[in-house]
Amino acid sequence: MIQLENLSKQYGDLTAVDGLDLNVARGELLVLLGGSGCGKTTTLKMINRLVEPSAGTVRIDGEDTSALAGPLLRRRVGYAFQQIGLFPHLDVAENVAVTPRLLGWQEDRVRERVDALLRLVELEPQTFRGRWPAQLSGGQQQRVGLARAFAAEPEVVLLDEPFGSLDPITRDRLQRWFQAVRRELGLTAVFVTHDMVEALLLGDRIAVLDAGRLLQVGTPDELLLHPAHEKVAELMATPRRQAAAIDALLGRPASA
Amino acid sequence: MSEQLALLPGFLTAHLQLALPALLVATGISIPLGVLVTRRQGLEPGVVGTASLIQTIPSLALLAIMVPALAALGAVTESVFGFKLRGIGYAPAFVALTLYGILPILRNTVTGIEGVDPALVEAARGVGMTSHQQLRRVEFPLAMPVIVAGLRTSAVWVVGIATLSTPVGATSLGNFIFSGLQTRNFDAVLVGCVAAAVLALTLDQLIRALESGIRKRRPTRVRLAGGALVALLLFTGASFVAERAGGGVRPIEIGSKAFTEQYVLSEMLAQQITARTGLPTSAVQSLGSTVAFDALRTGDLDLYVDYSGTIWATIMERSDLPPERGRVLDEVTRFLRDEHGITVVGALGFENTYALGMRADQARELGIASIGDLARHAGGLEIGGDYEFFQRTEWEALENAYALPFRRQRTMDPALMYQAVAEGEVDVISAYSTDGRIAAYDLLLLEDDREVIPPYDAIVLASQELAEEHPEVLDALRPLIGAIDADAMQRMNLAVDRDGASAGAMARRFLGSLETEPPPRSESP
Repeated sequence: MIQLENLSKQYGDLTAVDGLDLNVARGELLVLLGGSGCGKTTTLKMINRLVEPSAGTVRIDGEDTSALAGPLLRRRVGYAFQQIGLFPHLDVAENVAVTPRLLGWQEDRVRERVDALLRLVELEPQTFRGRWPAQLSGGQQQRVGLARAFAAEPEVVLLDEPFGSLDPITRDRLQRWFQAVRRELGLTAVFVTHDMVEALLLGDRIAVLDAGRLLQVGTPDELLLHPAHEKVAELMATPRRQAAAIDALLGRPASA
Repeated sequence: MSEQLALLPGFLTAHLQLALPALLVATGISIPLGVLVTRRQGLEPGVVGTASLIQTIPSLALLAIMVPALAALGAVTESVFGFKLRGIGYAPAFVALTLYGILPILRNTVTGIEGVDPALVEAARGVGMTSHQQLRRVEFPLAMPVIVAGLRTSAVWVVGIATLSTPVGATSLGNFIFSGLQTRNFDAVLVGCVAAAVLALTLDQLIRALESGIRKRRPTRVRLAGGALVALLLFTGASFVAERAGGGVRPIEIGSKAFTEQYVLSEMLAQQITARTGLPTSAVQSLGSTVAFDALRTGDLDLYVDYSGTIWATIMERSDLPPERGRVLDEVTRFLRDEHGITVVGALGFENTYALGMRADQARELGIASIGDLARHAGGLEIGGDYEFFQRTEWEALENAYALPFRRQRTMDPALMYQAVAEGEVDVISAYSTDGRIAAYDLLLLEDDREVIPPYDAIVLASQELAEEHPEVLDALRPLIGAIDADAMQRMNLAVDRDGASAGAMARRFLGSLETEPPPRSESP
């Protein structure tokens, strides 16, 4: 569904992303994992050309994205921002409806879609449609941000640490809810995070990036059991240690 | 007070006619320019710098600069497009106010748009907006409170500074203030100041209410504030249309400089013309001295009263010792006709000359009667002069002839000069010989024993256009020639300055007496 071929981004002398090759299958969720500055967000933004690649190609459904006008491409691809980025001068319904309106949907269809999405993200439309972003809690804002990303019925969604600023309990709830929604809608997704546990729980496959290069891509199992690089092994050691520590607390022998 | 309030609707309308269009045009220039600056790298220092530079020009000076600038532009438009831009009155005031209104709106547009959270701009791109949609749907609405704050600042400035457009010949609430200060009518000053302040605050609050109503989506507030603003604009627009429709005949434009005698004389000319010819007249009051002359020369003014010595010294730039009164008048008349096509209708009969004046008791104490006597005491005395006096050739001539080493020279407004000498703030002033305040404050005018100050016959000047198109107007004014002696003029000035009579009433009374009594012996041709 999404193919990155030899994708690179240079900022002057600095190479942010260096010759990346990746494929995302239809309906798959690929996690881009790595520390800050590893190039994961830049890679994500090159998929919908919020950042123009310096070299290489991105194909969505076989179509070279550089042949499309940027705004038209971005209306087809949902995007959830790390900083959420709800428009403070628009109410919840208007925020969700932004892309459908840019696409010129009929108002009836827009309203139906907004209400359906608000219900999907568990915000009662009657109550929340007319609220201002400033009146929402952080978790509610995240959910509105996700509803906005899903609004124009995209086949592909890009998510940049969408649960980054949440407390652990809300985050856990939203993660599980998100998996359910994504599967229900059959979305293809690329998901950026630096959180190993989140990556292991959500990803169908995980691509580990370091200094703009791909270290390894594989399923959570493969990465845990057969790390191809010592940095990957190091990364995977952390959640394993934590899991072992929790098991020990519970009085159970550590599992592999 | 009620006499002043009767003038309020007219002056307030004129003020709105200046301020609102200037504000609209300034907004129309600043907002697109501000957006452009945020879109194109490297434009900001040049554009915002230029606007700031304009702002540093003192407002009164900016207004005055527009007069010759527009006169020059007017010559171009006349030859190219066949219509003439007027160098005095509405046009220069409008242009200067527009320029003044630009900076706050421009700067706040740039600041407002640049201050929008970059994450929101990226989000706008991310949801698929084009650059234009980002601006219109996200950046502009979010910058709006800042832009509107600039608009409000601009509105208050423009309404305030519009009061200064009186000296360039544009009617405004400033007419109350300028003539009130000159004629010591503090009711007029008060009415002008209060009306301008109320107008400024009203506009400010209406714009604020409109913006917050839109932002907070309060339809009632939007309707009320928006309705009031639209009503003001419609009223202003309608007043322009009404003037156009009513003004089938071009009124005779009569100018006056900014002192009492000039207000009385311009009223007198206007009343005489209306009574004898039925032609409409229009007063352009409180003009700067050279503004009035330039306006007459270019035909923006039809008539005003000037003084032969002023023309001699300022326009002809003669610094030689003037010949006797009649010869000066002859030379001035010939010069104005030959060089500028201006007709000297005649001399009114009195002189209003620059004269050095001091408190009568102080003069007696020091034994001073003439400027020659003064020279001996000058080292211990201070002199106050009007804005132009110390730059004039008369002062140069006085210094050359008498050597007057005053302890200090102070330039001050003529309206305050007399009070300053009466209260001992200064010892000597550059008085005008017919000024009513000389008697009111018991001042003594010192004799010019070496006759270096040129004679200042009050003369009626008419533009070439008026002389050609309405010779009957010149005929209508003939009865005034030689009809006003210095005593009569001083009495009228005193009545206005000390007793609070209106210039119009004094002019009417004088014209009435002219009908019934034979005029005094004519001293001029």
